[in-house]
Amino acid sequence: MKKSWFVLLAASLFLVAGCSTVQQGSSTDSNDTLGITIARAFDVNGLDPGFLTENAQVVDNIFDTLVKRDENEELTPGLATEWKPVDDLTWEFTLREGVTFTNGEPFNAEAVKYSIDRVLDPENNAPTFSYISTIDEVKVIDEHTVHIVTNSTDPLIPTRFNRYPTEIVPPKYVEEVGQEEFAQNPIGTGPYKFVSWDKGSQVVLEVNEDYWDDEPEVKKVTFRSIPETSTRVSALLNGEADIITGVAPETREQISNSEAAELSVVERAGNTIFVGLKYDFEPFADKRVRQAMNYAVDTNAIVEYVLEDAAVQTNSMIGPKDFGYAGEYDGYEYDPNKAKELLAEAGYEDGFSITLDTVNWYMKNTDVAQVIAEQLKEVGIEVTVNNVESSVYRNVVPAGEQSDMYVLGWSSTNTLDADAAIYAVLRSGESYSTYSNPDVDAKLDEARSTSDEERREELYKEIQEEVLEDAPRIFLYQENQYYGVSNQLNWEGRVDGSIPVATIESAE
Amino acid sequence: MAFLRSYLLKRLGQSLIAVLGVATIVFFIIRISGDPTRLMLPPEATEVQVEALRESLGFNQPILVQYKEYLLSLFQGDFGQSLYFKEPALQMVLHRLPATIDLAVTAIVIAVILGLTAGIISAYRKNSWLDFFISSGVFALQSLPVFWVGIVLILIFAVRLNWVPTSGNQGLVSLVLPAITLAAYPIAPIARTMRASLIEVMDQDYMLTSKAQGFSKRQRILRRGLKNAFLPVITVISLEFGVMIAGAVVTETIFSWPGVGSLIVQAVSNRDFPLVQASVLVISLIYILLTFVTDIVYRMIDPRIKL
Repeated sequence: MKKSWFVLLAASLFLVAGCSTVQQGSSTDSNDTLGITIARAFDVNGLDPGFLTENAQVVDNIFDTLVKRDENEELTPGLATEWKPVDDLTWEFTLREGVTFTNGEPFNAEAVKYSIDRVLDPENNAPTFSYISTIDEVKVIDEHTVHIVTNSTDPLIPTRFNRYPTEIVPPKYVEEVGQEEFAQNPIGTGPYKFVSWDKGSQVVLEVNEDYWDDEPEVKKVTFRSIPETSTRVSALLNGEADIITGVAPETREQISNSEAAELSVVERAGNTIFVGLKYDFEPFADKRVRQAMNYAVDTNAIVEYVLEDAAVQTNSMIGPKDFGYAGEYDGYEYDPNKAKELLAEAGYEDGFSITLDTVNWYMKNTDVAQVIAEQLKEVGIEVTVNNVESSVYRNVVPAGEQSDMYVLGWSSTNTLDADAAIYAVLRSGESYSTYSNPDVDAKLDEARSTSDEERREELYKEIQEEVLEDAPRIFLYQENQYYGVSNQLNWEGRVDGSIPVATIESAE
Repeated sequence: MAFLRSYLLKRLGQSLIAVLGVATIVFFIIRISGDPTRLMLPPEATEVQVEALRESLGFNQPILVQYKEYLLSLFQGDFGQSLYFKEPALQMVLHRLPATIDLAVTAIVIAVILGLTAGIISAYRKNSWLDFFISSGVFALQSLPVFWVGIVLILIFAVRLNWVPTSGNQGLVSLVLPAITLAAYPIAPIARTMRASLIEVMDQDYMLTSKAQGFSKRQRILRRGLKNAFLPVITVISLEFGVMIAGAVVTETIFSWPGVGSLIVQAVSNRDFPLVQASVLVISLIYILLTFVTDIVYRMIDPRIKL
């Protein structure tokens, strides 16, 4: 009995060792069609763009939005050929003619209305409702014209129609199969068609041969989930994956030193990280203390030695690709003596003790927090670092239950507008904001409700200067993002975090 | 057969209580740190929106009411629906189960073959340098962190040599690295138990008798010793196998193996309550079944044991 086990095992081991035909990521078969694999840390939860609980990296290849962004992140025509404001509350979109969904349904004004209405319907509890909550109504003017009517002036309407949940879905098909089935078997107008979804493992798409725009070079794409960072890098290096996302700073060299792949650096595409200071904690109610905290922390040293330049020191709360970015601001140079002076002036020459909350959403979060704690200790402030589990942090921060000092990162994600970058973390009453300044509040509100671009830029500049002076946070840095890309492909990571597979080309 | 029936009834009763206990503990523990509504919505979502979702998912009800409803539907065989995937939770777990079982069975076969071989050789050459060498070897294997073993194996066999894929399930070859990783640990307890048990058996009178009958040492061990020394080893193997089914979490995550372990990790971090509950229940049912089978095997090997 035991003997046969041995034989079986030995035989299977030989079989494995002899079998070196490992399935490769990018493959060019006899018909010269390019198929690639993109490995990400997570699988999708669903494929209905109106009801996503994550980003739209995968579904944006199956669906189109009315407005797109080119490689320079400029807004360009998508399913709409042009758009313009008609009055303060109305935007007119002219729709592309002759486009059909891959099931043959025509794309028209009705489809736009249907796609938006189902997200706005309170009955449906759409997770990303807040992204389009300014929309009051979608009016069908004719087959190829719609009017978007808003509750108040909304300068961001074109941007909103670039981003989920505004992808256009086929009304008849969705009604026929129902929302739940649609999330498993989506149909869109996009450059790729849905093929299969093995939940938790991978999603496979193939090219839509009748796509209205240029036919993509990549004919088949597999989005695989590989949660473990080092395994993802290994998959890239041995050719199983052609593009990987979420490359950790410590694995950058492994990729850039390899012959198989290159590192794609997207500078300042990530969150702008800061340490929030709650005014409920008595010392922080004094501006001098808050400024002292900024003088006491050496952000440049953190960026250089802890993050190894995986982030960029900045006092701007708005990213360089965002609308409203006005260059860099001079802030608080590292100056522990000045910090001590300010603390003494405020009556805290002996310092105080406090807890700093941090969470693993951010690069090397505990290391960064420890260094901040060490630096603050130099000026007499005793900091205890508290690393909070991520799903817990997701609940305590909006409830305002985090410690009086807390690490938080924010970005404009893929709207690329200052409003998304700062409103939620500065406006009093917003769940992620612990700051309250009536003047800043008024400016934030005005900036989101005027379509005068110059005025908006001016307001954002004033807000930035005022907040910098007021120091409700320790200004730190903005994270970079890294992708690993096979040498056989030409593709660069994007600031908006999307992966438009149609723009990926083979290197030859 | 009457004794068997009463035994089965008793075991069934015990199992039911165990399952109920597991269901209860899991239900309350995952709810301690709050519900998933915030995680299901983007950070920009308003309080009103959060409340609306909470209500539609039923998480605004008192926890005991939720518990009652959970138990009621559980008794009707309804494990609920995954909050994210909108698919029956039990179906998702059962879909993933074969991959986990493939992995655990391959790993336990490797561990048993290597563990028994090591244990038998060690006992045969008790206190020799070979025994010392083998014992410290398996001990070293046991001390290596699973995480480290997995990553090193990937770097050597998938990246450097390119013999096997790094991760995922692309057929039989994909099974090799995760199975070896998972097998590394239980080799030691199996080998150690085998060695100790065999050495003990060798001192028994009947072994002396067979020596007097003129059998060689090898014959004595293979014909008499092994069978008698096997009982404790079976316990260890079945326990380790249970642990593998339940504990392949780390291994499955490293290798993105599409089994129940990686599903649980994802479900826990999403706080997908029904999915966590269903996975843990299914795994505990398997564990209960395994101990049951072990008891039966015990009796088959040694009729002196009363069930």
